[in-house]
Amino acid sequence: MTNSSSAISVRNLWQVFGPNPEKIVDSPDAALPRAELREKTGNTAAVRDVSFDVAPGEVFVVMGLSGSGKSTLVRCLTRLIEPTSGHIVMDGEDILEASQSRLRELRRTRFSMVFQNFGLLPHRKVIDNISYALEINGVSKEKRHARAREVIDLVGLEGFEQAYPEQLSGGMQQRVGLARALAVDPEVMFLDEPFSALDPLIRRDMQTEVIRLHRELGKTMIFITHDLDEALKLGDRIAIMRDGAVVQMGTAEQLIGNPADEYVADFTRDIPKSHVLSVRSIARPLKDSELPSQATLPANTIIRDATEIVLNSSGPVQVIENGNSIGVISANDILRLIGGIQG
Amino acid sequence: MSNLALGTSRKREIKRSWLLGGVFVIWIGLAKLFNGKFTLEIAVPQNTPFTSFVGEVAKSIRGNRTDGAAFKYFFNPIRQIIDGFVTFIREIISIPTQGATIPLIGWLGVLALIGFTVFAVSKLKTAIMAMALTFACGALGLWKDSMDTLAMTIAAVLLSLAIGIPVGIWAGRSDFALKLVTPILDLAQILPTLVYLAPLALFFLIGPASATIATMVYSIPIAIRLTAFGIRGVAKSPVEASVSMGSTGAQTLTKVQLPMAKKTIVLGINQTVMAALSFVVIAALIGAPGLGKPVIEALIIRDVGEGFVAGFAVVFLAIMLDRSTTAAVVKQNTFVPPSPAELKRRKIGLIIAGISTIASIILSRQFAWAAYFPKNINFAEQIGHGADTTVVWITETFSFFTDGLIKFVTVGILNPLESVLSGAPWFLTILAISAISAIIGGFRSALITVFLLGAIVASGLWFDTMITFAQTIVATLLTMLVGVALGIWVGRSAKADRVLRPILDAGQVLPAFVYLIPMLGFFGPARFTAIATGIVYSIPVVVKIVGQGIRDVPVTMIEAATSAGSTTRQLITKVQLPAAKNSLLLATNQGLIFVLAVVVIGGFVGAGGLGYLVILGSSKPELQGKGLVAGFSILLLGVMIDRIAQYAVRRNSAPRQ
Repeated sequence: MTNSSSAISVRNLWQVFGPNPEKIVDSPDAALPRAELREKTGNTAAVRDVSFDVAPGEVFVVMGLSGSGKSTLVRCLTRLIEPTSGHIVMDGEDILEASQSRLRELRRTRFSMVFQNFGLLPHRKVIDNISYALEINGVSKEKRHARAREVIDLVGLEGFEQAYPEQLSGGMQQRVGLARALAVDPEVMFLDEPFSALDPLIRRDMQTEVIRLHRELGKTMIFITHDLDEALKLGDRIAIMRDGAVVQMGTAEQLIGNPADEYVADFTRDIPKSHVLSVRSIARPLKDSELPSQATLPANTIIRDATEIVLNSSGPVQVIENGNSIGVISANDILRLIGGIQG
Repeated sequence: MSNLALGTSRKREIKRSWLLGGVFVIWIGLAKLFNGKFTLEIAVPQNTPFTSFVGEVAKSIRGNRTDGAAFKYFFNPIRQIIDGFVTFIREIISIPTQGATIPLIGWLGVLALIGFTVFAVSKLKTAIMAMALTFACGALGLWKDSMDTLAMTIAAVLLSLAIGIPVGIWAGRSDFALKLVTPILDLAQILPTLVYLAPLALFFLIGPASATIATMVYSIPIAIRLTAFGIRGVAKSPVEASVSMGSTGAQTLTKVQLPMAKKTIVLGINQTVMAALSFVVIAALIGAPGLGKPVIEALIIRDVGEGFVAGFAVVFLAIMLDRSTTAAVVKQNTFVPPSPAELKRRKIGLIIAGISTIASIILSRQFAWAAYFPKNINFAEQIGHGADTTVVWITETFSFFTDGLIKFVTVGILNPLESVLSGAPWFLTILAISAISAIIGGFRSALITVFLLGAIVASGLWFDTMITFAQTIVATLLTMLVGVALGIWVGRSAKADRVLRPILDAGQVLPAFVYLIPMLGFFGPARFTAIATGIVYSIPVVVKIVGQGIRDVPVTMIEAATSAGSTTRQLITKVQLPAAKNSLLLATNQGLIFVLAVVVIGGFVGAGGLGYLVILGSSKPELQGKGLVAGFSILLLGVMIDRIAQYAVRRNSAPRQ
């Protein structure tokens, strides 16, 4: 049932808080709106029947507003909160079945987490914060400091090894958080709104940093955010959560171009389509009156990036997928998309 | 929606104050009408059947001391272990070891050791001050008593921390444990100190062991509370991060929670030390050696000069212990340690101090001049005389004011209140207090009030309880009057806070007993002395809570009101005080509890009431039962006051949607 080629595979995950959580799972009541469910049963379903697979090396973004259950979800994945039911499979092993000591071992070696409020230890130097996970795993001081220096270089914290967290800016503190999560060389990283507490400019820097680290290290990442721009910028795929359930899951293009419901449509309304959709989505058959130009575009080109070629060509540009033309686009098509004009 | 709710609550409030007014009018009218009837008054030497019964039980417990199983296998072993520990510490600094004429360390060595210890946990300046204050205790001619008090305090603190910190850690990490200990801690907090002396002495004999156990009962809750508070106060995300990285529970505790909670735990140690010191002084009543003895003697024979001398020694020790332990907190303001150069300087300093300390200890064991505190350094007589003359001068110079004040408070407020509370039929008083409790605290509050007051009637000491209650109410009213005014000032002005805070801090660390001495000097043995002492003792806590409440009012609220054109007066009465309502209630609650504790001690200086019966019970065997029951009645009174206030607070905090 689970996908064996996935880095992490989640099936039917539930997290219900309240007096009798097991009763809610898979019951018809679970579909009730939150307030009604609480009224009727006294329970709150924070995560409702969530399933997804994350491919190795993928950046999987879970996005939702506050109270949508995304933070609870990520805590369930690492069992900081014990889920009510479901399966979380990594490498054929169901994490929810793991004993406490096995769970500690997994946490020390296989996955790591970055927190919204950094979660640094204020009484420890940067280098000792970063090597904490190695320390509790019994790695010698020499070895763990050597490893810590490697990741310090990686995230650009050179020269701050001996500083204390309170001496660093927020952005620098989160670099420590990132370095700490990288220090154990995990297979999967969980990032829980890591940049929400940062100023917009710093946030953008840090997003770029994560993209760079991902390109260099290829870690599988599960990234939680409430910021749609951030989700679109970082995510290979995005799951949108609402009231504890995933309402839509897919690439940025799928979400924007083909929203599953009103909620997702509403959510994505302000995102410029031309920045997300590819030329494939607006390719159309050549009209009889038109003369195609010599220029061609790969089908997955983002529309914004196609503008220059389209403008400079003499007529509609061919969109090519797998060596075949699937249609053409013209400057007018792009303008219509931007203006939201049908036809 | 919210406007509507506000409207109804406002209406309810107006209705409530009308109701209260009505109850008061009817109560006072009926009390006047039936004055002197059914008051349940009994003469001081008279026992009721119940107090005689308790006396008999106490006697039989005493008779059981050598043979009873509970004593043989429980109380006696505990007493012996604690006695051994206390004796061990006293032998180091205050009493001669077996076969010797001096303690293990003479005065010079003790002084050096204090200096070294304080230097090690804080800084040189504090260490010098600590040594000077300790020396001053000797110069008051009270070296041995001071050392006894210090030894008793240290013994009680070490034992309290040995129990309190582990339990506090447990309560900090487990919700179940917190639920388990909270009611006990709450009760301990409202228990006036005088209450548990006699029962403990009954089971553990009179002497240092009992005194230490009583002190521990008083100070362990403080250690537990602050440790648990410290652990729970640690930011959530570092703990979560630590767990997410695969730490075991023990690793998270030792590497994250304890280091981050260190400041609060050190503060807890400071509070434990201060509580223990103030209790050790009072515990002289059940045989604690040390400074409590001269203080109590002076109070009993009304020797103000001598009282001042012993009181000064207590104050010196209190300041010494407080400064030494708070300096350790201040140093922990940041998590960044000092620079390596500074650390090196400190290390050298510590080595030098350590060597001189060892040298002093050796000297103090070899030479008489370093072993016995020099007899010719003794200013007791001059200070006692000076205090006497100063008090007399103040009393005479300001008699026009103090006499008027005493008369106003005693005749104008206290007597009428006493006649309503204790001079009226008991059932009328119960009815009235319960009605008031119902109006401000609700049905359950009234139910508890009826129950507790009923128990007091059943105990047979209704009349004396009402005397004490009347004094408590008057002292609390005056405390609130002054305390709220000062609290508003402190809450609104950073400058006022800066000026008053050290005084308030100092006021809070002194044992309640010490305040009785000057008050006795100024006002003589009277009910007013107890009331004045209660006021002075409880003002600091009221000012602090009210000040904090005012300061916690959101800035945006103030800005909104100011920009709407409020005057300062409107700002205070319409925004800050209403917004700080819960702080005011809490301050009243704390004020009442603090005042009650002191008013009871006022039994020493002629305030009568329950406190007097407790003290009498501890010296007169035939009244022991009555003293124990009086102590229990104080407890009932305290619980009643606390419950009503808690229910009122709960009722006032708007239900959140």
